[in-house]
Amino acid sequence: MIRYILGRLASVALTFTCVSVIVFLMMHAVPGGPFDGNDMPVNDVVKAKLNASLGLDQPLYVQYFKYMWAVLHFDFGIPFQSPGETVLQLLARAWPPSLILGGAGVLIGAPLGILLGMAAALRRNTWVDYLASAFATLGLTIPVFVISMALIMVFAVWLNWLPASGWGKPRAWILPVIAYAAIPMATYARYTRSAMLDVLTKPFVTVLRAKGLSERRIIFQHVLRNAALPMVTVFLPMFIGTATGSIFVEAMFRVPGLGAYFVSSIELRDYSLEMALILMITMMFCLAYLISDIVYALLNPRIRVGGGR
Amino acid sequence: MTPRSPLYFAWRRFADNKAAVVSGLVLLVIMLMAIFAPLITKTGYEDQDFLTQAYAFPSTEFWFGVDDLGRDFFTRIVYGARVSLTIGFAAAAFSVLIGIPLGAIAGFYGGWADWAVMRLIELFSVVPPLLAAMLLGALTNGGFFTIVLIAALFGWVQVCLLVRAQVKAFRDKEFVRAAAALGATPGYIIRRHLIPNSISPIIVGFVLAIPLAMMLEASLSFLGIGVPPPTPSWGQMINVGMNFMYFYWHLAVFPTAALAVTVLATTLFGDGLRDALDPTLKGR
Repeated sequence: MIRYILGRLASVALTFTCVSVIVFLMMHAVPGGPFDGNDMPVNDVVKAKLNASLGLDQPLYVQYFKYMWAVLHFDFGIPFQSPGETVLQLLARAWPPSLILGGAGVLIGAPLGILLGMAAALRRNTWVDYLASAFATLGLTIPVFVISMALIMVFAVWLNWLPASGWGKPRAWILPVIAYAAIPMATYARYTRSAMLDVLTKPFVTVLRAKGLSERRIIFQHVLRNAALPMVTVFLPMFIGTATGSIFVEAMFRVPGLGAYFVSSIELRDYSLEMALILMITMMFCLAYLISDIVYALLNPRIRVGGGR
Repeated sequence: MTPRSPLYFAWRRFADNKAAVVSGLVLLVIMLMAIFAPLITKTGYEDQDFLTQAYAFPSTEFWFGVDDLGRDFFTRIVYGARVSLTIGFAAAAFSVLIGIPLGAIAGFYGGWADWAVMRLIELFSVVPPLLAAMLLGALTNGGFFTIVLIAALFGWVQVCLLVRAQVKAFRDKEFVRAAAALGATPGYIIRRHLIPNSISPIIVGFVLAIPLAMMLEASLSFLGIGVPPPTPSWGQMINVGMNFMYFYWHLAVFPTAALAVTVLATTLFGDGLRDALDPTLKGR
């Protein structure tokens, strides 16, 4: 097990390095620099001085190693679009709204999806199943900004029940949380349904029925436990996926979160912030997959790597 | 009685799946509308013929109303199908072109080739497609062909994995070993035996890559870094429609509905095709 984890960590390090190099090169290959904006033109001499002060006049590989060395010391630089703070301070300020909304969305959506999937699997090929599957397919195939749009149209514009945008009042959080919950709900409904159907057809379930165990105990004690395995592995990656979802949800509901910075850092050539955002997301995805795999291996003795016997 | 081919049974399974059949028909109608767009609309998608009636609500004259720049909105939506479908199909085609060789090599040779391809896939799985697409879009200034390439860059992974699994499963079958014993080169075996046997996962991968590409295009256009105006793209129209939502609902609702219906129909059609062609994959 330890060898497996070490191997995976090495692979994570390799992936992370590749991504950082590719993203760094791509980022700098985009024409223009942070001071080339048109609305406030900067004199060439001033621009050269600014670039020099930020180290942007140095060769790319020097910039890359300097930045990565700083990153290893948890220094992600200063965002050009808001030079009064460090990138870390900006993240500390902008991440909480995204985290609260996205987290609430996943925490509400996942259990709902599990219930839906269970209902669909237990009432297979009835209207319950069809309705749940239709719901799940809709949630996965309709882009999140379309769902947000529909929510705003119905609940804010036509029914006038809830505010369409804003962040101050908790009432304004309801619609964005629903929009965030759509994907986890749909994913979990699909996973749960197929995982439960897989287990329900196993011979041991027939044996349990034959020995007269109540259907409730069969489902909750035996089937659900076996079906839960694949469901555990999708949780973390999905949680982190809400970070990119925030680009759309927050734009639609005008939430002052992280989402807008993904777009603006690319548009404004805000190199440090752009690099920090992509590196963080990449790192979190790497770790999420790693942790999921380890948890999966721990929970499922059948695939425990190397160890055991 | 003549023996029935596997294709016959696949067709029977597909025809039994009502959702898939209906989706297929809907997709067919949308495709026909996209192909014959000039015949069913009265103006071009760029023609600002109705400037005096800008923002007009849907009526018998303007089925979907008129947009903010005085263009017939039904025309824009119909031409939008062209953009969306072309990008979807082109991106899926490129995905298959990248995915088949890589999947076949990884599955056939195993070992270090497999390791390298899997690391490459891992690279693509930890970077959210949207972020990379935004960066690539900025790098290349968007545009039709770029979007196709970006979508293919992230669409090939699925095809590659499907082909790899299939090739791996067939690599040690008797007919393949017989071919090898008769002196067939690995390239010949892959081309003549393994890829023809992977045709159903390839078809499934192709169809399921289409909605993903369409969604990516809509998302990028929604953010303003996709297909540049005046080319009609649904994502772009949703973005513009957002600004007028409180007063002119039709500008946001129709592109939203068009995108949702097309993506949904393609996905359900693909799901049905997968279940029909490969019953063992059902429900994944």
